[in-house]
Amino acid sequence: MTMLKLFTYLAGQGIATQRKLFPDLAEGVRGMPMLTDAACESGCNACAEVCPTEAINLFKYDEKGGITLDLGSCINCGYCVDVCPTKTIVNNPTTRVAVKSRSALILTNGPKDKTETQEAIAKIKLPTPKFGARELTKPFKYFNRAVAARVVSTGCSACDMEIGASGNPVFDLERFGVTVVASPRFADALVVTGPVPKGMQPAVTSCYQAMSSPRVVVALGTCAISGGVHKNGYADACGIDQILPVDVYVPGCPPHPWMIIHAFNVAMGKEPPARE
Amino acid sequence: MQPDYTELSQQDMAKQLKERLNKSSSERLGLLTSIDGGQLALLMLNPVKGTCSVLESPIENNTYKAYTSNFAQFHWFERALFDMFGIVAEGHPRFKHLLLHEQYEKDFYPLRKVPLPENFKSPIERTYQFLEVKGEGVYELPVGPIHAGVIEPGHFRFSCFGETIVNLEIRLGFLHRGVEKRLTEVPWQKAHFVAEAVATDTACANALAHAEAIESIAQVEVPERAKFLRSIALEIERLAVHIIDIGGMCTDIGLLGISATAGRLRGNALRMGDLLSGSRFLRAFIMPGGVRQVEEARLGEIKAGCQQLRKDLKPVWAMFLENQMAIERMTDVGVISYSLANEFGLVGVGARAAGINYDVRQYFPCGKYPEYAPPPVVEKGGDIFARERVRIGEVWTTLDTIEKLIDNIPHGDVKVEMPRELPKMAWGVGIVEAFRGELIHMISTDMNGNIRRYAIKDPSFDNWTAISIGIRNQLIADFPLVNKSFALSYGGNDG
Repeated sequence: MTMLKLFTYLAGQGIATQRKLFPDLAEGVRGMPMLTDAACESGCNACAEVCPTEAINLFKYDEKGGITLDLGSCINCGYCVDVCPTKTIVNNPTTRVAVKSRSALILTNGPKDKTETQEAIAKIKLPTPKFGARELTKPFKYFNRAVAARVVSTGCSACDMEIGASGNPVFDLERFGVTVVASPRFADALVVTGPVPKGMQPAVTSCYQAMSSPRVVVALGTCAISGGVHKNGYADACGIDQILPVDVYVPGCPPHPWMIIHAFNVAMGKEPPARE
Repeated sequence: MQPDYTELSQQDMAKQLKERLNKSSSERLGLLTSIDGGQLALLMLNPVKGTCSVLESPIENNTYKAYTSNFAQFHWFERALFDMFGIVAEGHPRFKHLLLHEQYEKDFYPLRKVPLPENFKSPIERTYQFLEVKGEGVYELPVGPIHAGVIEPGHFRFSCFGETIVNLEIRLGFLHRGVEKRLTEVPWQKAHFVAEAVATDTACANALAHAEAIESIAQVEVPERAKFLRSIALEIERLAVHIIDIGGMCTDIGLLGISATAGRLRGNALRMGDLLSGSRFLRAFIMPGGVRQVEEARLGEIKAGCQQLRKDLKPVWAMFLENQMAIERMTDVGVISYSLANEFGLVGVGARAAGINYDVRQYFPCGKYPEYAPPPVVEKGGDIFARERVRIGEVWTTLDTIEKLIDNIPHGDVKVEMPRELPKMAWGVGIVEAFRGELIHMISTDMNGNIRRYAIKDPSFDNWTAISIGIRNQLIADFPLVNKSFALSYGGNDG
């Protein structure tokens, strides 16, 4: 009888799944920041001052103010957007934020051909993984239809809860062909959340070693990319990037379920990355 | 709030603890730690009076007589004290490393500032020895650190006889990121980002405890509207996670229809978080000095959301509570008795399900509490079913509280300016009822007004051991349910 009651209840609820793919975030909801064409106020350094993770660096080109914004260190607190007097840094409501290379996470409003811009970008230290190099360098279609993901959590559980939310009826991650599996032997994708402190480094490495090729690594959340607020601590919690070769990066603290689904689609080759 | 402060000798401290922590006393241990390795710093809480006090006691020769044998609640505090400071608690019945694993060097004590005594060597090895259960047919079952589901890492070592669990030893510390040390290294004005990140599912409670501690040191009071908004934010966080915790219990039992519905309805609670703060987890909303401003229209939407959620959740919880299979799997399983909960100083849902009437909102000033504190939900029995009933009861009282706060919130400013510097040699404490239980942030400043010690006591730190005791003589298959019924934090515990 209780099963019948449950069926009747569920049937009466209707379809909860959002049909529109990767919709923009609602008004007032914080996404990642982005840079516009608006010129900086002369001598202003408000954004770099408030940033809690040193994601923003300033430089000058042709007497104009230039900004480099490293989304891989950005915890989307929104303070830079709040203090910017010229709307040079604004909120980006998009849910397409996943990229395939670490350098694609570095935004700048300086012209790409200027040496000052290139020098400013080069100043941002990017890690090289201790263990191996990226295996799948050519465009691949192995996971085009289905990918089995092993999620290893090394963080505060906000990203894990958002992955769980991606699987709920509203977002329905599984309709894209993604399954979350328990054994690394069954897994195609290793999804790492959290900054990977010393205590978890052996476990994550063994998990990767237990997976057979072809395999991809997804760094989910800002902590997994750069350590977020935890970097520079004695626990060596600087992200998965310094240990394993990463194929897809999705920044955010935590990234919204649609951003997570977009990242899986990028890993599967079904969607292009947000930026090259 | 500002704690009272006393400095006393080791003998006097032992005497005071004997008097103040006996069974009939109303005081309880908040946390035990050190400032730089040269002394013990103990936070004592008096819920009845709504006050707390810091007892500081210098130690000689880097060792003192352990308190665990007399007061079980101290046992993990004394182990963490050794990990962070190298102070040896002599006579501790299970003296092992707690937070730092084999990857760290042998004599590495990250928070210690005073030099170690000459020729001091660590009395224990970094390699962890599990308690061995001997007997014919007894085998060990290791689970973790990486678990089957999408959940934080921790290691569970079961000693089993057939399907029955004879002993469970829980080893945590995999998520130790050194947050307490970071909080003394970043400028204090930006520390709230790090304080939130200890356990971001508890971001709002952590930010609130942090703000309360800093404001009590700086002797700043936030405007009324900010106090209301802080309490609303805390309750929204409680609501969102309680819904998913009950849903998680349904997943583990196998009632997937109910758990999927809970997951969907949790989104409505997260939407309230979005409306209030722009973030589903209420991140970067509360900071020392106040909160970010919220428009009246959004508060109206949140209230409407509460009314709708109450209607939506009623049939869902009803189906859960009358499901015969669920009731049989939850009743009389994982029982934590009242006396055990008292002895180990359990907090939060686990304690209230065992009959202990302790809800921080009733006692300690924080936000708009205790004025707007809802009546505590207390159950008897201490089994899984009691804990789920407490959670469901708290969902209803939380919805009531949010509506009441929105009905009475005044207009006005939401922020005051913080001073440029903090007072020197000052103490501040923030105590909050997070959704898991009593959360404490304790801050101490030095001669220059910088933070010299930041101690965080997550509610999970008190509660983890209860799981290993409650699971004895239950089946292995009961473990996921017992674990989920507590729904403790690994990251918050590890720091």
